[in-house]
Amino acid sequence: MKQRKQNEFKNGKDKAKVQKLKSKLEEETLRRIAEAAAAEESSDDSTFVSVSEDDDDESLSEDGSSISESGSEQSKLSNDEDVDQASESDNPSSGSDDDDDHQSGDSVRDRDDNDNYHGEDKHGESDDSREVVEESDSSEDEVAPRNTIGDVPLEWYKDEEHIGYDLAGKKIKKKERQSKLDSFLASVDDSKNWRKIIDEYNDEEVELTKEETKLVRRLLKGKAPHADFDPHAPYIDWFDWDGAKHPLSNAPEPKRRFIPSKWESKKVLRLVRAIREGRIKLDDKPNEKARLYDLWHDSSSSGRQGLAYIPAPRRKVGGHEESYRPSAEYIPTQEEINSYQLLFEEDRPKVIPKEYTSLRSVPAYSKAVQEMFDRCLDLYLCPRVRKNRINIDPESLKPKLPSRKDLKPYPTTCYLEYKGHTGPVMTISTEPTGQWIASGSKDGTVRIWEVETGRCLRVWDLGESIDEVAWNPLPELPIFAVAAGHDVFILNTGCGNNEEDKKIEELLHVEPQKAMDDSDTTASIVNWGQDDKHGGIRLKHFKQKLVKKLEAGVREISSIAIHPGGDNVIVGSRDGKLCWFDMDLSSRPYRVLRCHPKDITRVACHRSYPLFASCSDDSTAYIFHGMVYSDLNQNPLIVPLEILRGHSTTDGRGVLDCKFHPRQPWLFTAGADSLIKLYCH
Amino acid sequence: MPKHYRPAGKKKEGNAAKYVTRSQAVKLLQVSLPVFRKLCILKGVFPREPKKKVQGNHHSYYHLKDIMFLKYDPLVEELRDIRAYEKKVKKARSKKNKDRAERLLSRKPSYTLDRLIKERYPTFIDALRDLDDCLSMVHLFAALPAVDRAVDGEKIPVNRVHNCRRLSHEWQAYISRTHKLRKTFISVKGIYYQAEVDGQTVTWLTPHALQQVLPEVDYRVMLTFLEFYESLLAFVNYKLYHSINVNYPPILDSRLEALAADLYALSRYLDANATSVKTKAVTSSGSGSDLEHQQDGKKFDEDELRLAQLQKQLPSNEPGALMHLVEDAADNDDEDAETREFSWEGEGAPFEESDQSITHQVIDRPKQERKHLSRDYIQPQWVYDCVNARFILPADKYTIGCIPPPHLSPFVDNEAEGHVPEYAEAIERLKAAERKEVLPLPGMGKEDLDDPHSLLDIIDRAEAIEAAKRKQKMSILEKQYHEELKLELQGVQHSALSSDIKGKGEAVEEDAGPDLQQIAEDAANMSKVVMPRRKRKLLEAMEIGKERKQAHVHRLKERKKKIDEANKSA
Repeated sequence: MKQRKQNEFKNGKDKAKVQKLKSKLEEETLRRIAEAAAAEESSDDSTFVSVSEDDDDESLSEDGSSISESGSEQSKLSNDEDVDQASESDNPSSGSDDDDDHQSGDSVRDRDDNDNYHGEDKHGESDDSREVVEESDSSEDEVAPRNTIGDVPLEWYKDEEHIGYDLAGKKIKKKERQSKLDSFLASVDDSKNWRKIIDEYNDEEVELTKEETKLVRRLLKGKAPHADFDPHAPYIDWFDWDGAKHPLSNAPEPKRRFIPSKWESKKVLRLVRAIREGRIKLDDKPNEKARLYDLWHDSSSSGRQGLAYIPAPRRKVGGHEESYRPSAEYIPTQEEINSYQLLFEEDRPKVIPKEYTSLRSVPAYSKAVQEMFDRCLDLYLCPRVRKNRINIDPESLKPKLPSRKDLKPYPTTCYLEYKGHTGPVMTISTEPTGQWIASGSKDGTVRIWEVETGRCLRVWDLGESIDEVAWNPLPELPIFAVAAGHDVFILNTGCGNNEEDKKIEELLHVEPQKAMDDSDTTASIVNWGQDDKHGGIRLKHFKQKLVKKLEAGVREISSIAIHPGGDNVIVGSRDGKLCWFDMDLSSRPYRVLRCHPKDITRVACHRSYPLFASCSDDSTAYIFHGMVYSDLNQNPLIVPLEILRGHSTTDGRGVLDCKFHPRQPWLFTAGADSLIKLYCH
Repeated sequence: MPKHYRPAGKKKEGNAAKYVTRSQAVKLLQVSLPVFRKLCILKGVFPREPKKKVQGNHHSYYHLKDIMFLKYDPLVEELRDIRAYEKKVKKARSKKNKDRAERLLSRKPSYTLDRLIKERYPTFIDALRDLDDCLSMVHLFAALPAVDRAVDGEKIPVNRVHNCRRLSHEWQAYISRTHKLRKTFISVKGIYYQAEVDGQTVTWLTPHALQQVLPEVDYRVMLTFLEFYESLLAFVNYKLYHSINVNYPPILDSRLEALAADLYALSRYLDANATSVKTKAVTSSGSGSDLEHQQDGKKFDEDELRLAQLQKQLPSNEPGALMHLVEDAADNDDEDAETREFSWEGEGAPFEESDQSITHQVIDRPKQERKHLSRDYIQPQWVYDCVNARFILPADKYTIGCIPPPHLSPFVDNEAEGHVPEYAEAIERLKAAERKEVLPLPGMGKEDLDDPHSLLDIIDRAEAIEAAKRKQKMSILEKQYHEELKLELQGVQHSALSSDIKGKGEAVEEDAGPDLQQIAEDAANMSKVVMPRRKRKLLEAMEIGKERKQAHVHRLKERKKKIDEANKSA
């Protein structure tokens, strides 16, 4: 160890200085070495341990030597030498002498012995070690390569028989190389093969000893090559300060070492001031508890600052279901609990009521903290709006309508039924006097009924499904028109007296029409002909012409009725909406009434009473009061009055037509159940 | 020109100028988001709902005035100071400047919330009005285990838990001493209490005194809320204690405190100090028998059966304390003023268990080995039900070993709900019977004298309100009856008409059956036809809600019927 200390000196660049000091230190060094030797006895143990290891190695290396017997003795020697060099690269104690040892051709064992007793040598021959200090200066000296070609590329000797020259100037012959196969086989046989390295420079095979491999490993790890070397040993100051005659520096002491620091005094002053002013408090402890006092002592203070405060809604307090022992009826059955699984998660009840027999058996509520946290989130994250909860009676939402009693008379109850048709009654029409009613059915018949008795006066079978029946508005000519298929019939009802019958016959008598010019458009659309079978005129080839287009904002208009005043139009649509148009007001509906869930089939207005009606496929008919005032500022008053039921639905159709009685506030309805009903007040 | 184009230099107007999103607010305040959150919680600032959300629907909007309100609060500066301080400490530590770090640590800047409380609740009544959440939270944290534990990286400091426990005990002691408790309810979530303080009803929930589940939630938020609530409750307690002439931070008997009988210690303190309340103790109890409730079993059972882990920590834990609370309320509400004390078994208890004057012993265990013949052994539910009924219920149904009758919530208006549970009716009947007996006795004047507070007035007022309500209900019922009568009359007319018609029309006969109902329905629907769509939809929604309610009641009644049938057949 101490030797290594010496090495530090030795390897240092300032050799001269060391030389200068050497004489002075000599005795000291000796003394120290002696001490170190004594101290090292403990470390010797470790070396002894390594001896035992070396014994192993020794045998191995003997094997190695036996293998490499083909090599010359010299190579063996150099091998040993190299090992020594490597193992004691920084220990030149033996370095210089080694040559002699190796020259004598010692066996490996000898070398090992030498190594083992190395320590003892040291403290045995302290003089020797001193010599070492003197002589071995450079590590380069220690290496004695066999080849003397120097640092030239080995390629130059590639084609030569020799690899270089030894010290004596003789050529060193190249050795025979083992073939690859042989070397491989050798490697398989010999477990030590991995240690062998070919030294190209000297052209020989070198086997690394165990120490050497260790050393290589340590180098690879970036440590000091020798395990014994302590890179962090305490520094020993070899310089003796006491006996020095002169100081190292002869400079006088600077002034600043004698006067107090200005900056320090400034800093102190600052601190003092801070303490005086109370900015720095040294003694007092910070108050641990917030002081409590009567916060709401003066009630005179103004209200809350800032925007209007919206208090958060209170948490819900549990009802009977949340009780730990709810009444039996609050506990759902197992089936009901299972059915909760089918519900959406947000629809499921939060707490399923459960009964505990005693207070001690109630467990802790697992969501207590979670719910409190959710409440906290609601409190600071939820936007708050003051919403006026509609706490009103739903009845108050309904508009105040005038009492229905005041709006009487209007049809309320079914008074008569007209039976006879076998198919759905498509259409009805009332005679202007209100004595007769004509009806057309899908079964192809047209019937005339007496209103007050329900007697069927006459039946025509037109063969085709009847679309429309319309009575002549002039009461003196009791005829009516029937639309069936593509044809229109104008028929004599025979309800009038003889005079009228004659008139009608005259009227209905038409001569067979001559062929007209094709250029005359009016002529081409209608074809008149005498219908002998039924006694009337037959209009053929009826072409429709668009007169006016109406927009109601509904899906599909099914019927229109015009208010007798002429300014208002009622439109019924297929989506069950009834539109009241006030023509003076706007082109948009004044009021849209959604009354029927199904198609409206017909709307009707009463000629004299302020009534209008709608009938629909849901087999109901609505009666409305629709009052139009002569004052233009006053809006029409629309009041629903009655829902008339009675018809039954057949084939998805309900009431197909409705007509008011011309004089009475009565309503006729024609149903798909082949009935005609009369509703009276 | 795009719709929202605003020429350069022209100021924003309307909602765009009034409301800012949260991130804008954070930027405006120049604080971090956690600090902003803290500010919002402490100042009670919440997002608002602008009519038009300029930045989009997914933002939360704050009113700019609210943000300005935050901005000019000194708290912002204080929080900044704290942040700077924390940086200083960190710097000192990392520079290994131990002295400086220690010196800094010894003077940590702090802030007080009294100003904020005053700002948010300018009057005491305001504070009481908003006390529900505060009390629930403080009671919840008081029930957390008193162990320093880190949940989800955030620590719940043990001193906060202790503080919560202390505050909650103080509140309970006040409520019990001044007889403010009105309603109690044992639910699966915990026990609800409702008290009436200064005319304000305060409702709070105390968890069952068991180990609480601590889920993974943001405890920082909760602790910030708790911070505010703690100081609020402290100030409220101060005010309340001073209103009954008691010094507020109460000085407790250290012996009882050591026994963890905090609440008893508190009530003793209150008794000793409150001159006004003191008179209450000496009541004219000549007539009434001394009812003394011993509730030892309760505590012991809890310890033995359910709370083995808490046995050492909490020799007398929460339920006992709450019993005290309940006890006094029951005491107060009874019309014949009887003195009752409560006690428990163990050291420091005001009564020995063997005391012969005890008449009721509250106990929660399957059975009692040694029984005194002079007293009833009852389950704790009896006390709660007595409070809710404001009347001493017969104890025979509640004796230990038997299953007590159902416990009903006092917070439900049974009649409005539409279904009155059987036991509620039974209690009503008992009460009515009792009232007839008690009424002739002149017990009212006495209590009036006894009670220094105008409690009676409050009760009277409450009764008056109830009476008014009843009257209203009666009138509604009457009206309904009249309407029905009218309808019926109409129906008669119709039927009469139809009978007249019968001779002429044959088919009318069939319709006579559903006619009445149909007509009533039609009459109801008639005005719907002319209603505007918005109103009609609203009406329909209301009707749906009504129907749902009715369906619920119907379901309950069905179940009840089934159960009754099953009981009969069994």
